[in-house]
Amino acid sequence: MAVASKYLPGAKKAHEAQHEEHDLRQYLMFDPKPRGEMNQMVMESMMTTSWKFWVVFAILSVLTATCFFYAWGYMIAEGLGVSGVMRPSYWGIFLVNTVFWIGISHAGTFISAILRVFKAEFRRPFTRAAELMTTFGLIQAGASIFMHLGRVWLAYWLFPIPNARQLWPNFHSPLMWDLLAITTYVLGSTMYLFLPLIPDLAMARDRSTGWRKTFFKILALGFRGTEGEWTHLHTAMNIFAFAIIPVMFSVHTIVSWDFAMAMRPGWSSTVFGPYFVVGALHSGMGAVAIVLAIMRATMKHMDYFIRAEHFDALGKLMLIVSMAWAYFFFNDYIVQWYGGDKWTDTLLHWHESGPMSWMFFQMLIFNIAVPWLILWNKKWREIPWLLASVGLLINVGMWYERYIIIPVSLTINRMPFTWKLYYPQIEIFLTIGTFAMFLLFYLIASRLIPLIPVWEVQEGQMAHSVRKVGKAVVPSVSEIDLTME
Amino acid sequence: MSEHITILALYSDINPAADGIDKLHELGISDDEITVISGVPITEAMLGRPHQSTNVSRLALGGAVVGFLFGAFLNFGTPNLYTVYVGGQSVFPFPPGMIILFEMTMLFALLSTFLGVFLDSYFPNYSPLEYVPEISDGKIGVFFKCLQSDEKKFMEALSKLGAESVSTTEARQL
Repeated sequence: MAVASKYLPGAKKAHEAQHEEHDLRQYLMFDPKPRGEMNQMVMESMMTTSWKFWVVFAILSVLTATCFFYAWGYMIAEGLGVSGVMRPSYWGIFLVNTVFWIGISHAGTFISAILRVFKAEFRRPFTRAAELMTTFGLIQAGASIFMHLGRVWLAYWLFPIPNARQLWPNFHSPLMWDLLAITTYVLGSTMYLFLPLIPDLAMARDRSTGWRKTFFKILALGFRGTEGEWTHLHTAMNIFAFAIIPVMFSVHTIVSWDFAMAMRPGWSSTVFGPYFVVGALHSGMGAVAIVLAIMRATMKHMDYFIRAEHFDALGKLMLIVSMAWAYFFFNDYIVQWYGGDKWTDTLLHWHESGPMSWMFFQMLIFNIAVPWLILWNKKWREIPWLLASVGLLINVGMWYERYIIIPVSLTINRMPFTWKLYYPQIEIFLTIGTFAMFLLFYLIASRLIPLIPVWEVQEGQMAHSVRKVGKAVVPSVSEIDLTME
Repeated sequence: MSEHITILALYSDINPAADGIDKLHELGISDDEITVISGVPITEAMLGRPHQSTNVSRLALGGAVVGFLFGAFLNFGTPNLYTVYVGGQSVFPFPPGMIILFEMTMLFALLSTFLGVFLDSYFPNYSPLEYVPEISDGKIGVFFKCLQSDEKKFMEALSKLGAESVSTTEARQL
């Protein structure tokens, strides 16, 4: 005979409270470990390398050496003629890559600065992983610009110094704005990466021997964690968090003005600034999802620091940014379509029915349909490989978007006798080279610096607790975070 | 004559550390003679310590002003050094100038903020310092100087108030 079991009223509440407390343990902030143990976990993840690591390292090194350095050297020796850029598409994949990598770089600032300002606690374990993407992404963006220059040894002509005839560069040109904005962003984001890294470098210094000890000792600068050092560090991080946000917005807006300032069909658009910024965040968020999934799958102990809650939060951000991107895309499209300009109409038809229309429609599918169909579901958002796959497709879609804006749109101009489709040549190898170098840098960094900001995680865990309100267990966050005082 | 020595009291938690610092005040050790080090930031209020001043904000502001002036030179000064008139266009257009002013202001503000941390914290400092590696494991260290003759008195007082260990210490290579 089946007997229906029932909790006594009090016992049921207590049971539920225990469950609630147990549920909270799935969140990093409510599942603290002793600091020494967390340090050990991060150090082990940094020091442990398997043969698979070295195989990937070797493949990426070979790709970087051949597709980046050899191919670029060959292009420098032979001239830009070995690339596919020619009339009317003088701006080819090099600038597609420049815009793409600058876009990737936006994720670091967004996660580290904007989420820090708004105290989004889920950011804590992966701020550094995102900030590293900013620095390494900007290196690839810079390299792509220099590739585009062709005669790269004359790059100093852009520097703010007078030439032999005492003529200074023209600071009214969008290309000079680019140089200054990207320089500011590279330096700013690298400093912003380094400042919160200092306490973790000191932690690594205390736990390493040999050459690593010397390496960490030099980089830790003698940090001990005195009250003064923390105060100076926090004040600086606070200033950086607020100041780097407008710089981030300015960089991609200025990049968009490289196009929008030209009176070309498809380019001259007042909405290009925010459209580019949102596009940058779109690809950047997707790239962070890929990096986190790889970190979690391949590095020791990362499943403690990077959890389903982080993929869930990131997935929500990706969905919101995807909606914003769709809004700006349609905003740009409808105004140009409604304008009725003959050449713009021709260009829009070229996008939709020309030889590159497959790219146009895949862009829409990857950037809008895929995230909207998958990321609405919490359970799906929490699956690392699925979120990383969505991130990968978004990045392919965003690369296509830049390709459509630059070489595909340059095909159509007001002189039909010049219309000619762009076929990349050596650019394909150089593109592979920039991706290989980005991954190689990341791989090396994962073994040289702590990818998890342990002190920030501990600070967050100190601020979080569970408390009982009546019979219920509720999460509670204290305002002990010095960073935003 | 008794010599000065440095004592390190190590704590696992903030509350006993705050009690220990109160006791040191009672025993005549001023805040200037106490150094607290920790692996996570702890506010002065938690330990009842005086507010830490920093010059980082002032340096950032100074850098921003210098950057603004440099941007003004690039935008409004350099065209004047070798004026090139382009039909109908202003030699000193303001809208593009705003971009240069903004970028240079931000660049110099960020650089001087970064430099400010180095100046205020005396980084880099590779000379021997008073430190124990347990700090980065989450312990809180309280250093203070006292007369060698008072060593026992301080050690007993701090041990009673929950210090994990109290010992004399010396500067060492980190």
